[in-house]
Amino acid sequence: MAEINPKYFELDKEMRDRDLDESTPVSLLEDVKGKGRVWDDLCEQYGVDNPDPPWRITLEATCDMLAGGYWETFNVCKPKEERDSEEEQKHLDAVERRWEEDQLVNKYYDEVPFPERQLLALAHTLIRRGLFDEEELARRMEEIDRRLNSA
Amino acid sequence: MAEKHKPAPMVDEVSEFEVLEIAVRELAIEKGLFTAEDHQRWTEYMHTLGPLPAARLVAKAWLDPEFKKLAVEDGVKASLEVGIDWVNSMPTHFGTPSDYCNLRVLEDTPKLKHVVVCTLCSCYPRPILGQSPEWYRTPNYRRRLVRWPRQVLAEFGLQVPEDVEVRVEDSNQKSRFIVLPVRPEGTEGWSEDQLAEIVTRDCLIGVAVPKPGKTANDPRPVRPAVNPYHH
Amino acid sequence: MSKPHYDREHHVKKATGIGDPQCFKGEAGAPKFKVGDKVRIRDLPDIFYTRTQVYTRGVPATVAQLVYESPAPEDEAWDNTDKVVWFYSLVFKQKDLWPDYPDAFANDTVETELPERWLEPL
Repeated sequence: MAEINPKYFELDKEMRDRDLDESTPVSLLEDVKGKGRVWDDLCEQYGVDNPDPPWRITLEATCDMLAGGYWETFNVCKPKEERDSEEEQKHLDAVERRWEEDQLVNKYYDEVPFPERQLLALAHTLIRRGLFDEEELARRMEEIDRRLNSA
Repeated sequence: MAEKHKPAPMVDEVSEFEVLEIAVRELAIEKGLFTAEDHQRWTEYMHTLGPLPAARLVAKAWLDPEFKKLAVEDGVKASLEVGIDWVNSMPTHFGTPSDYCNLRVLEDTPKLKHVVVCTLCSCYPRPILGQSPEWYRTPNYRRRLVRWPRQVLAEFGLQVPEDVEVRVEDSNQKSRFIVLPVRPEGTEGWSEDQLAEIVTRDCLIGVAVPKPGKTANDPRPVRPAVNPYHH
Repeated sequence: MSKPHYDREHHVKKATGIGDPQCFKGEAGAPKFKVGDKVRIRDLPDIFYTRTQVYTRGVPATVAQLVYESPAPEDEAWDNTDKVVWFYSLVFKQKDLWPDYPDAFANDTVETELPERWLEPL
């Protein structure tokens, strides 16, 4: 039997005690949830039968990229406070992300279909983790909206 | 002729969700979480993936007993014959934290039916099967399949006779799995192309069995999670 | 406890063009179990990262296949790849996993892979 570092026990306890009950709704995302038109509705209106929105793969790629720069490192999934460098702080391990996605969807995005719910949950996770804030995201969305609709 | 080239209908509207997806990605790139180039290479690679190579692998195995033996013994090597190089097709050339390079092909028999799940997250043989369907990712499927496999399969419209062993493969480590179903009756003399057409994604996950004439997956209702019995 | 050193390059160098888990082949030494052996899954304390499902703990199983060699996920998650071990594919009877379920079929099974350290002979 390999030695188990006692530190792991503390971390495990932390992981199990951790829950998202203290999470709060993000008003920007609530807004998208309320106003946004989901792919199924758009398909019906425009007579399109592609089962997935064009951005589904791009979103999936974003999640993959966040799981640990494929070209530099591998499988870094230490808890946030254990990550020594700023670089490591940025990783969002796939298991952690999926866990949060399930929790957040259950709490806030239950009514939203897939993959819209995956997107809302990912944005929520990144805001919760402070990788960017709500205002920043709102500003960026306005900018993109202008860009796309002026083209 | 010209009439046949009418443009396919498209969604002529930018939804809030589309804007949100771009915004999240752009901010992540600006914050240095990953580079735009890596993201683009990965996206391009993912766009090339789908269930067709796995369907062809099954069709080949049905037609060629030697190939079937190879597929069951060494899924990675067998994949090469359907154009999938588990190691070198990927932009990383070694796999990824979710795409390890150990494909196992699970052979059904008249007395054994395999079905695949990942109870821990949602591991899936993406290089040979593409993106996983939504229901495969749900806690409902992941929690219940290991506990009540026959009930879950019945919800998918698959009734397994009592004398057939149902074997749930819980994909939890570095192997990825596809099911090699039993070749159905009524396909005698069929070509590889004809056979590959009836091997749908759902047959390859194991929640359906191939049938002559059936070339598409059924729509699957997605149910909210239920709390499992605590073991 | 000193901070472990995370070498960002070593895994990429080792696995490129070979694949993971293929790149660990031959490093685990002699396997402790063989196909057909009866084992029980140990109920080790949960460590921070594991991929050994809670439902398998303490349950008997049969070795179906020796699948590959690799560091155990409990180590690899911390980028510790020095200790390579055998991975086994194990078959559990549904009746053993869920003894309280009256509707578990006697023939039905679950198969999953675990590293050697989680197994004890039965």
